[in-house]
Amino acid sequence: MAQRAVWLISHEPGTPLCGTVRFSRRYPTVEKRARVFNGASYVPIPEDGPFLKALLFELRLLDDDKDFVESRDSCSRINKTSIYGLLIGGEELWPVVAFLKNDIIYACVPLVEQTLSPRPPLISVSGVSQGFEFLFGIQDFLYSGQKNDSELNTKLSQLPDLLLQACPFGTLLDANLKNSLDNTNFASVTQPQKQPAWKTGTYKGKPQVSISITEKVKSMQYDKQGIADTWQVVGTVTCKCDLEGIMPNVTISLNLPTNGSPLQDILVHPCVTSLDSAILTSSSIDAMDDSAFSGPYKFPLTPPLESFNLCYYTSQVPVPPILGFYQLKEEEVQLRITINLKLHESVKNNFEFCEAHIPFYNRGPITHLEYKTSFGQLEVFREKSLLIWIIGQKFPKSMEISLSGTVTFGAKSHEKQPFDPICIGETAYLKLHFRILDYTLTGCYADQHSVQVFASGKPKISAYRKLISSDYYIWNSKAPAPVTYGSLLL
Amino acid sequence: GALGPTSGASCRLLPLLLGLDAGSDLGRGFVPASEQRPLQATACECLRELESCKPGLLGGSLGLLRGLLGQEGPVQPLSLLLALALRNTLVLQSRVGAGLGGLLTDKVPPTGGGPWDWTLVEEGDGRLQPQAPSWPAAEEGEGERSLTAREHSPEEARELRAAVIQLLDTSYLLTPVAQAQLLWLLGWALRGLQGQPPALFKPQLVRLLGTAQLTLLHAVLALKAAFGEALFTAQDEALLLRRLTLAAQHPALPPPTHLFYLHCLLSFPENWPLGPEGEEAAPLLLGPQLCRGLLPSLLHDPMALLARLHLLCLLCAEDEEEEKGQLPSPRHYLEELLAGLRQRAALDEGPRALATVCFQASYLVTRCLAGQPTVLTPLIHGLAQLYRVRPMLASHFVDFLDQVDSELREPLKVVLRQEVVSRPGRDEALCWHLKMLAKVADGDAQSATLNFLQAAAAHCTNWDLQQGLLRVCRALLRAGVRGGLVDLLQVLARQLEDPDGRDHARLYYILLAHLAGPKLGVALGPSLAPPALASSLVAENQGFVAALMVQEAPALVRLSVGSHGVKGPLPVLKLQPEALEPIYSLELRFRVEGQLYAPLEAVHVPCLCPGRPARPLLLPLQPRCPAPARLDVHALYTTSTGLTCHAHLPPLFVNFADLFLPFPKPPGGAGLGFFEELWDSCLPEGAESRVWCPLGPQGLEGLVSHHLEPFVVVAQPPTSYYVAIHLPPNSKLLLRLEAALADGVPVALRTDDWAVLPLAGDYLRGLAAAL
Repeated sequence: MAQRAVWLISHEPGTPLCGTVRFSRRYPTVEKRARVFNGASYVPIPEDGPFLKALLFELRLLDDDKDFVESRDSCSRINKTSIYGLLIGGEELWPVVAFLKNDIIYACVPLVEQTLSPRPPLISVSGVSQGFEFLFGIQDFLYSGQKNDSELNTKLSQLPDLLLQACPFGTLLDANLKNSLDNTNFASVTQPQKQPAWKTGTYKGKPQVSISITEKVKSMQYDKQGIADTWQVVGTVTCKCDLEGIMPNVTISLNLPTNGSPLQDILVHPCVTSLDSAILTSSSIDAMDDSAFSGPYKFPLTPPLESFNLCYYTSQVPVPPILGFYQLKEEEVQLRITINLKLHESVKNNFEFCEAHIPFYNRGPITHLEYKTSFGQLEVFREKSLLIWIIGQKFPKSMEISLSGTVTFGAKSHEKQPFDPICIGETAYLKLHFRILDYTLTGCYADQHSVQVFASGKPKISAYRKLISSDYYIWNSKAPAPVTYGSLLL
Repeated sequence: GALGPTSGASCRLLPLLLGLDAGSDLGRGFVPASEQRPLQATACECLRELESCKPGLLGGSLGLLRGLLGQEGPVQPLSLLLALALRNTLVLQSRVGAGLGGLLTDKVPPTGGGPWDWTLVEEGDGRLQPQAPSWPAAEEGEGERSLTAREHSPEEARELRAAVIQLLDTSYLLTPVAQAQLLWLLGWALRGLQGQPPALFKPQLVRLLGTAQLTLLHAVLALKAAFGEALFTAQDEALLLRRLTLAAQHPALPPPTHLFYLHCLLSFPENWPLGPEGEEAAPLLLGPQLCRGLLPSLLHDPMALLARLHLLCLLCAEDEEEEKGQLPSPRHYLEELLAGLRQRAALDEGPRALATVCFQASYLVTRCLAGQPTVLTPLIHGLAQLYRVRPMLASHFVDFLDQVDSELREPLKVVLRQEVVSRPGRDEALCWHLKMLAKVADGDAQSATLNFLQAAAAHCTNWDLQQGLLRVCRALLRAGVRGGLVDLLQVLARQLEDPDGRDHARLYYILLAHLAGPKLGVALGPSLAPPALASSLVAENQGFVAALMVQEAPALVRLSVGSHGVKGPLPVLKLQPEALEPIYSLELRFRVEGQLYAPLEAVHVPCLCPGRPARPLLLPLQPRCPAPARLDVHALYTTSTGLTCHAHLPPLFVNFADLFLPFPKPPGGAGLGFFEELWDSCLPEGAESRVWCPLGPQGLEGLVSHHLEPFVVVAQPPTSYYVAIHLPPNSKLLLRLEAALADGVPVALRTDDWAVLPLAGDYLRGLAAAL
């Protein structure tokens, strides 16, 4: 249950090596154990250079995929998890946990406490999930609030000290590296008995609790016979509890109005001490019925110091907030497009912003455009073959708006216009981007009465809500579109 | 050195760490009170690492650690340390079949604070044996022992339970990853332990199932695998499966987590698994309804797509007798999805990854749904269509054909060949067509193939294309095509612009004209040796060398010397051959070391098969002097694959007795007179001797009848035998065996060849032992 080594690699396409090792660390005592445990099947941890090369090759991040390479492209080399075997110097290093996020490749090699030949089932290797958490932890640390490259460099330079605390001798003790950072800073604070390991100090000051609910709505709309439109709400509840005491007990409740949509698929933060079985079992896998548990959703917990994600949920609201209709037809040299968007009357008509992005893939730059719109303005990005329809803060009284026009394209030049493997021919989509503050689609809210604190002093409660669009697609109804299995279930 | 196991520094290390850990005065002296805790924690980490590398090191300190955890020590480091030490102690104790004794209650470490003798654990690495974690599929043997060997007294069991409960009760104070470690360690420690109900874990489970933490759910799965029904009822199992299904698709979790959960689903440790162990399968409780959200779509990235596709295939496989009219049928959905993937792969500008994922998906489908024509037939036609649209994917097709079973390969080859030959090529795709054809061309549809090649030859203007063309010819040669190919090769040998190409064509033509079919097949088969040079002719030449030249090979035939026969004028060696594999046209060549005999004729055997008894081979010997000899044996044979092999066999030994022949009977009959005549003729040129011949339990009569029967001239059983032996070419050996005692017989011997004397002596002395 330990890691043999960890790497952070920046992916730099176009450079000779296509990447640079930004950070790496090896754990010699773990390596010693690996040699004994793995026996004859032991493969040593390679140097950074060969590792970089092998990993980029395996992840298909080298620039040379022109030719068929059997060790990478063979149909029988199927990888279905982010865990790889890397061929280095004729030997296979396994398991290598690795993924790419924000142009950084996070990789580590967990210790397997037995022989590797035959390979033990992946699920039986405890270090694999630990390795994932380790890498997620590093990723969170590097990208929390990080804005630019110099901040990234600062954080990378802090890593060696932090890992000394968070992952001594290769054994991960805390995936939240921020805790280790605070620990380093407040090491001299006298810690009382029964201090949770995930809470590095105590809060002193006015008690306050803030709860913010962010819902993202995604949708796939086809406007077609035999294919159902789908939409889903995904909620994240973030809390920050500034409360005195070592382990204040708090209960936070989420409420729904009478016509609210039940929360499902609830995943809670580990600091939640117990869960109602109704919360545990309400799931989107089951067919909905009226008996679905509709709250209040109570979460008893002992909060950590920092801001944390109390829970995630999904929900199936009865209608999508904006119903769209998109038709695109190829007419000789030009495309004719027609778009209708209708905001549902139950939705708060007060956007922070609302835009429809209309991309045209696999074509040349836009050379000519004629259009008519009932509302908002149209921005044209000729080189990117993209139209952005800026709808603004409010839909008009009728709640319905439309755009129609014709677009003509020039000759394709590969560098500038985007390639897309899905939008071929008339297959096309438009994507909605919007945000509504102080609103949730499910109706889910927290208020003054939502927080019970079993400690001295009544805390100040602040609650925030917002709705954001995410992957909100409206497909051209005149051409085939990629469907999910769910949308075939009518 | 200073840090060796017996050095002073090392001896003080463990007590120092334990002292620091316990927050004793030793530690207090070092640091201000405020730094006490971090110091304790660090000491714990060091101890944990020592215990990890030297399991059992802290076995004697369990009581101390437990006490510290109960008092004021830092909870997380102490919990992990105690759990690890406990696990290691239990595993080690069970190996030797010992109990825990008072280890959990003794508050004083065995060293009592004094120096630590590291040599106690110096079997060291020996203890760090590969250990199977608490996963049933991963353990063999080890588990059985742990089940039987671990029994504890009621008191020990009570203390152990108390320690585990103590650890679990404070586990919520640990970070999630540390909690997960604790659960793995305790699960491992308690597995198979009698009197320790896994229900101890139950209070933790609901809390854990609600979280999205990868490590925690993984640890719960480990507990599930370790304890099965004892901890998870059927309802619990269903709930766990639902939580896992949900987590595998929850939009709030990152994609690598989804993939890992999906893997966990397909390797789910069921209470009552049905399928074969170690193979990925959908758990029984995971019906189509639960899987709905886990099915693939074109919008997924390749890894997610393949993982979900696997699940879809498993559903289709289960769903063989699917209800008609049920919409949408998983199989229909699968077909649509594959069509979509092929459409993407067919895109002109598409990156190679799109093609790769299409072929990977097709391969996965053929693996999971072999034997289902309703799936495979549309797949074959879809792929043929893909080739028509984008022949530059030929390399992927060739690879695909190499990987799939013949059930799919043969029909796919046929349609691909049709695709190629039905479109006489002069376009830029010609090189791909030739590559494809080299893979799919065989004896069928010869004329269409040859027509295509003839038409193509005119457009093969560069070296690459010519080589491609010749590769197809080669494939046809191998497949045994002769008729039209001769003409084509002749034309190519004249017309091709490139000299290398012309040489090749001529070579193939010559091979075709001179070699019989099977030999040709072998000659053109894949080269056994990796090419030493990049030149194609050299590479190919190595293939020919392998096929047309004699190969040095390990011996596939064994020879043993059979019983001695004494007919005829010459000694004959009877050999029993035995083949390890079928071999043909065996020729055995013998060489006598030291030229003691005249050169031996080779022996020929048409065919030898293992298990089929072969007739003994007779090898007449023509000694030049009467002496034993060593025969060098070589075998030359053809294998069933058509290769001619040469092997050096172990040498054969011709013994002195193998040369014995009886004297021809004189006209007057052999009798005492005949013997006396021979006896007298030996001297004065020859030699005389007396030898003591030891007798075994069979006595003189048995000895003579067994070894010397054919050569006895005068016999007065059981007391006296006169023996005359003719040793070719022209020596004699005469023996008188008379007046035997219980344990031996004195033998008077004469010979006309003094060189025979030591051999005869050795022979006689060895007789009793040789029986």
